Amino acid sequence: MLDERHCAAPVASVRDLKVYFQSKRGIVHAVDGVSFDIRDGETLGLVGETGCGKSVTGRSFLRLLPVPPCILAGGSVTFHTHVVCKACAGVGCEACDGTGRQAGRDRSVDLLGISSEDMRRIRGDRIAMIFQDPGKALNPTLPIGAQIAEVFLQHRTEELIALAGLPPDTVGAIRRFASQSPRFGDGWLLSLPGPRRAQRLRVEESLAKMVADALAETQVPNPGKLMARYPHELSGGMRQRVMIAQALACNPDLLIADEPTTALDVTVEARILELIRNLQQRRKTSVLYISHDLSLVRRISDRVAVMYAGRIVEIGTTAEVFANPRHPYTRGLMAAVPGADTPRGKLAAIRGTVPELVDPPTACRFAGRCPHETGTCRSNDPVLEAITPSQSVACFIDHPAQSGERPTYERVTK
Amino acid sequence: MQLRDYILRRLMVLPVLIIGVSIVVFTLTRIGGSPVGIYLSHEMTPDEVAEIEARFNLDKPVWVQYLYWVRGIAMGDFGWSGVAAAPVADVFPLKLAATMELAIASGLVALFLGIALGTYAGARRNRLPDHVTRIVAVSGASLPQFWFGILLLIIFWAHIGIAPIGRSDAAIFASIAHPTGLYTIDAILAGSPTALWDAIWHLVLPSVTLGYGATAIVARMMRSALVEELQQDYVDAARAKGLAERIVLKRHARRNALVPTVTVIGLTFGFLLQGTITVEIIYRWPGLGRWMADSVLRGDQATLMTYVLFTSVLFLVVNLIVDLVYANLDRRVTLGK
Amino acid sequence: MTDVQQSRIAAGAMTADTAFRVRMRRLFGVLQGMASNPATVIGLVIIALMLVMAIFAPWLLEPNSPDPYQMPRDWGAVRKPPGTPGHPLGTTNEGGDVLYGVIWGSRTSLQLSLMVVGSTMIVGTIVGSIAGLVGGWVDEVLMRLVDVFLSIPELIFALAIAAVLGPSFGNIILALAVVLWVKYARIMRAQVLQIKQHDFVDAARVIGDSKLNIYLRDILPNAVTPVTVQATLDMGNVVLIGATLSFIGLSEAGIAEWGVLVSEGQAGIASGRWWASTFPGLMIFLWALAFNLVGDGLRDALDPRTEGR
Repeated sequence: MLDERHCAAPVASVRDLKVYFQSKRGIVHAVDGVSFDIRDGETLGLVGETGCGKSVTGRSFLRLLPVPPCILAGGSVTFHTHVVCKACAGVGCEACDGTGRQAGRDRSVDLLGISSEDMRRIRGDRIAMIFQDPGKALNPTLPIGAQIAEVFLQHRTEELIALAGLPPDTVGAIRRFASQSPRFGDGWLLSLPGPRRAQRLRVEESLAKMVADALAETQVPNPGKLMARYPHELSGGMRQRVMIAQALACNPDLLIADEPTTALDVTVEARILELIRNLQQRRKTSVLYISHDLSLVRRISDRVAVMYAGRIVEIGTTAEVFANPRHPYTRGLMAAVPGADTPRGKLAAIRGTVPELVDPPTACRFAGRCPHETGTCRSNDPVLEAITPSQSVACFIDHPAQSGERPTYERVTK
Repeated sequence: MQLRDYILRRLMVLPVLIIGVSIVVFTLTRIGGSPVGIYLSHEMTPDEVAEIEARFNLDKPVWVQYLYWVRGIAMGDFGWSGVAAAPVADVFPLKLAATMELAIASGLVALFLGIALGTYAGARRNRLPDHVTRIVAVSGASLPQFWFGILLLIIFWAHIGIAPIGRSDAAIFASIAHPTGLYTIDAILAGSPTALWDAIWHLVLPSVTLGYGATAIVARMMRSALVEELQQDYVDAARAKGLAERIVLKRHARRNALVPTVTVIGLTFGFLLQGTITVEIIYRWPGLGRWMADSVLRGDQATLMTYVLFTSVLFLVVNLIVDLVYANLDRRVTLGK
Repeated sequence: MTDVQQSRIAAGAMTADTAFRVRMRRLFGVLQGMASNPATVIGLVIIALMLVMAIFAPWLLEPNSPDPYQMPRDWGAVRKPPGTPGHPLGTTNEGGDVLYGVIWGSRTSLQLSLMVVGSTMIVGTIVGSIAGLVGGWVDEVLMRLVDVFLSIPELIFALAIAAVLGPSFGNIILALAVVLWVKYARIMRAQVLQIKQHDFVDAARVIGDSKLNIYLRDILPNAVTPVTVQATLDMGNVVLIGATLSFIGLSEAGIAEWGVLVSEGQAGIASGRWWASTFPGLMIFLWALAFNLVGDGLRDALDPRTEGR
């Protein structure tokens, strides 16, 4: 299974991504030269501490970063979209093996370079996102049905019109209604009795059906009734299901999941994880799963990338990274995870704190906290290099610099 | 359930506050001495004075006098206005209509303009339109209305000579019936474009004077509420769905920012109510405010008491309605103790 | 003295010292925050100019005798436009020098605002503290009183009081003081109740500090912030309302007060004499604007949440 994945072409490739933030104290290098691929259908786990830049990395796929104070300083995020299946309009049918997509690629775009209008078309349709706290990520004053409906109105206008039994060349107020771009007076036009009003009701009916179907996918009880509820009337788990339904409504190629279970109870967490896993496997969606929870990432990911202070320090298949962590930071993280056989009081913490990312010096970012550090680490910046075909690490232990000593694991005495 | 308790409690506190206000108003006027003076003349003998005091119950203990006053109000007797030379209750509705027309016109303009301005600024935070709006808002809160009104009069009335003074042209005003007392509405009801034009033309400058500060209050609140909302996760989530920025702003952020903005309507209303006093003086507007100012200067206690009591009750009721609407609107609001 | 007592005193001294340092550092941060906001700086500059004008008024323009707060009347130069020799800003209908009114009016306004804000702050702080600390029926009664006072619109309330007391500038000060103390009482009570919840107050209570000690050392310093913001905003607000009352006619005619001058100048505008109202009114506006700008800046600087708004 893994081998097959290795050959799979990436759905998105991040190359040397640099995202900086302007702050009072200077320019913060929040993400500083990050490169990785997300392969077709895989789940890539992105782990790291709070503030290491993992969320910023995730958000840059959708360019959901406030442009001042944020600076997109360089690099690219190339996204290879699929062709949406013509037969089922992305809903999933036999012709496309239930994925809603046709084999092969449509085109490649640099997500950081396209116009905001093009970006907008990709958001929610080809790349979707689940947020950390579903209580905050849902608009408190709109019924959840209306919120999910917006996705269809934005991206599935044609299908909506077809489903409502209207001719595909429908124009005017009703099309504007179905694409959520009303003009002044459309509201009155569509609510006055007459053929237009009947058409609007048909579109609304089809819309409700699409929303109910999307909700049903996430195994919520009674989706029809749920649509009229407000977010505050639902439990945290239910809200996150709504978020997932909303994110997967258009069958995206890539799902960015930014700590989707952090705000939830542990019991709910397991069910949500299972749900994401199931939906993803059925629809062959790729997932970038961002989390600070190592054991969780281990459970859900095919591959894992470890981020530290704006850099990826280690990336590889989950099996390899967990069996044989090479970077001292990865090792430290794993030692900090309690296992069933960890004796009480023996939990290791990494000494020190994450360095300030204002104008970082040319040095390994982990220098100062690393138990194996040498002079080399403080004057050279290690880059990510492969140590096996499926594991890379940015550390001088495995890739000695041209000059200078080489740190070894043996030097650790504590 | 919880909301109903809240409404009930607020409704129960309202009469307590109204009684409190009436006591304060009554006490206040008695501090200035017995109101018997307005009924007296120099030639009266002590016996005559005593007789008048007895007639108006002024020889009774103060708290009994208070009860007589309250009973009078309950029966629609607010006393005699020396300034208007008529019972307060007779003059009040006419003056009130004139003031309300001015306050409502200013308030409506302020509400729409303030929301538009606040949205415009909040969506462009820390850019030029935002800074300009902030200057407008802060200066609006600092502007003495009586001075602003005079400046407008100097320019548009004294120098350019296009703006009128007063509420209406007497001849045109007399030409139509006045069932509502609101000149603009009456003009529309009478179907007289001349009267409507006259009404609006007279309304423009006073409304601008009164409305500027109110616009500033609303714009300021709207701006900060919008800025607050735009930082919420659901705004990013809406963008992540692929919604156009216009829809994110209008359907999500602005809609929710309007909820806290509702709370300043009470404040704005108080502001407008107070502002009518000076604005009516400057523009010779025959409303409550000018009547009050005249009464204050000429010791017309009955008018003063009625006016303070009336505006306070109105202020309380408006604030109550605003709070209830807010509690109802905001599904996130946790009702305080 | 036992070791325990000694060490407690030492610990107390240390925490008091660090608490002082923390406060100083915070104050410095606040000042820095204010200095970085151009609007606040503009406000501070205007306030500084106004203060200079008020303090040095006797040196800027010869005081009118016997009462310098009374407008001097130059009956030989009535209704003169700005630029007239001896009357750079012109004169009023009654020969009052507008410049004199502008400069000495700043002194009047400073007195008004300092007296009203000072007295309301003290009374409000005391009443609010008592309500918050004592609680029970005392709190209930005081707060209902505050609610009643807040039910009457400020200007109308002050107008009614001043009207009853009779037209004089002193009565305007008194009226404003009676109306405005409730704000401070409310702020102070909320602060006391809020801070009472904090852990460090509990900690002090556990150590066995007296209630008064806790109040003076822990509660009062923390409540300074919102009271200061309100006081700054009120410094401008008070002059605005006071001038409005003067304009309506509730202070003595002929005193060097901006509102009175605007009112006096109003009669001349039909004949094109714009200056007598314009300049004093501008001063009211600038005064209120300056304190509003600084008050807002102060609030933003004190509240980390509003950073950069």
